[in-house]
Amino acid sequence: MTAEGMTTAAGAAADDDRTRSISRRIAAGAWASVEFKIGFFGFLGILLMALVWPEISALDPTAMNVRARQLPPLFLGEGWTWAHPLGTDQLGRDMLLRSLVGLRYSLLIGISTVLLMLAIGGLVGLFAGYRGGLTDTVLMRITDAQLSIPMIILAIAILGVARPTIPAIILVLGLSGWPVYARVMRSVVMAERKKEYVRGAKVLGASDTRIMFRMLLPLCLTPIAFVAVLDVARMMIFEAVLGFLGLGVQPPTPTFGNIIADGRKYLVNAWWIATMPGVFLFITLASLNLMGAALERSRNRVFGGVG
Amino acid sequence: MFVVTFLVRRLAQGAVIIFLVSFLIFTLLRVVPGDPVRLMAGGMAPEELIEQIAEDMGLRDPIPVQFARYMGGVIQGDLGQSFLRPASGAAVGGAQFDDATRAERAEVLTLIAETAPMTIQLALLSMVFALLIATPIGIAGGLYPGRWPDRLALYLGSLFVSLPNFWLGIVLVLLLSVKLGWLPAIGYGGFAWTILPALVLAIEIAPFILRTLTVSVAQVMQENYIAAATVRGLGRTRIVFAHALKNASVPLLNLLGVQFSLLLGGVLVIEFIFDYPGLGLLTINAVLQRDFPLIQGIAIVTSAAFVLINIIVDLAATAIDPRLDY
Repeated sequence: MTAEGMTTAAGAAADDDRTRSISRRIAAGAWASVEFKIGFFGFLGILLMALVWPEISALDPTAMNVRARQLPPLFLGEGWTWAHPLGTDQLGRDMLLRSLVGLRYSLLIGISTVLLMLAIGGLVGLFAGYRGGLTDTVLMRITDAQLSIPMIILAIAILGVARPTIPAIILVLGLSGWPVYARVMRSVVMAERKKEYVRGAKVLGASDTRIMFRMLLPLCLTPIAFVAVLDVARMMIFEAVLGFLGLGVQPPTPTFGNIIADGRKYLVNAWWIATMPGVFLFITLASLNLMGAALERSRNRVFGGVG
Repeated sequence: MFVVTFLVRRLAQGAVIIFLVSFLIFTLLRVVPGDPVRLMAGGMAPEELIEQIAEDMGLRDPIPVQFARYMGGVIQGDLGQSFLRPASGAAVGGAQFDDATRAERAEVLTLIAETAPMTIQLALLSMVFALLIATPIGIAGGLYPGRWPDRLALYLGSLFVSLPNFWLGIVLVLLLSVKLGWLPAIGYGGFAWTILPALVLAIEIAPFILRTLTVSVAQVMQENYIAAATVRGLGRTRIVFAHALKNASVPLLNLLGVQFSLLLGGVLVIEFIFDYPGLGLLTINAVLQRDFPLIQGIAIVTSAAFVLINIIVDLAATAIDPRLDY
């Protein structure tokens, strides 16, 4: 979009904009872009597959079938069948089914982790930004300290000894990922705190709790939450990395990480075991990231500036 | 004078951060289950011996006491000795509890000093690759917002950021090393072994550079002084490369400071896949073996690096743009 085109578009939309909430404008702006639609429909398709196919398929993701082992994916190599569109692994388990079940866990962990990160980071940022003073200094120094430890070291340090169950993984990833949100939230709250409506509410006798949770939290958190879609993708990669290192959800439950780690041993004979789940993960992440990038640009446009 | 007060203030803040990081890691390691002495002495060692070793090493003292003792050493530049790694060779672990050689354990500082240059080499090379990939596309995207270079930057960024690094590593090994035989992949035997891991790492970093550059170039191009430069009769090339890029590079520098931990996380996984003998591989092994002093040492060194890089970034940013005030 050129600079001229943007000003006229902004002018035309100005009347309309005043009556709509910021989050609706961000969502509408993103929906107007091609990349958001590609991402959205791509993600929807994969999500439906992950939800439906393992339920209706006659196969079991953990059932071994030694006679049908190391079958290649469709049209690639000798002995492929329609029964196993992505081939089978070293024990004859269906790769498509395993990838889809892995995707379920990956999404579950990714989304819950981001919700946890948003909750902790949002609250810390809200308190630090609104209270200011000593609360701010203490909370932000802790945030800085945690930001300077690479979260993956933290995660493997804890999961290396604690049993890597699903709640443990969500907790560890969430606890190590919140500092960025706390920082952003704090700076937004600090800017909002000085505005007239907050001062007005104070004069009218609203308590701090009311201002913080009824006024500032929904207003400041929504724009951040939109962009958190990008972090769902990032957390799914983290989950896969943990699984790859053997610290994720444990076998026989298939996850992207442990399938790829296993398949790595058969790379030369059966390349698809390690690579096919990755293609699946890549498509899911790419659609999430396209949606996230479109939302981010739309948010930047709504808040002024160039997208 | 400004620089001196700035340095003093930032170094003091940095010291606080490093202290907090060491305390966090130190406490965390002792709170989570898993006894390192059991790993050191081996599964066959009798219970009394375990207790005695733990007692001798001071591992049964209260955590604050242990921490004070440890920090006392750190201040004098002593990061302690590894629990498991012998000073002489690469052999790892303590299979036998009455092993006489256990006394000569490697110094943490030496272990870090040996591996850090490898990691720095990897990180620098990947940074070069990432800049080579991202700068042209990012600048083009920023110059034509909404048009095809911008779209290209958006799509490329979204695709790159969606590639899981360990999977990309495996695919590239399969293609470039196994099938084509162009590049060596596993272990380290010279500079050529750095190229493939650096490429994977570069693809992980590139999207962030791409996004930051696109946004910052687009923003700078809307400034008044850029419009004024055209009026002053300067050519387009000169405006973009001499005027716009200089200011647009400040957010890029800041990115380097903020995304330092991303870089480290990437290094960790990539060194593990490629069996590249750097700090990342050392860290993963240390964590999996519960080698407390080594993990603590690495945490302190990396957080110190984080602090220093951020100070250098801020100094460089003020040098580029004197309006900035820290």
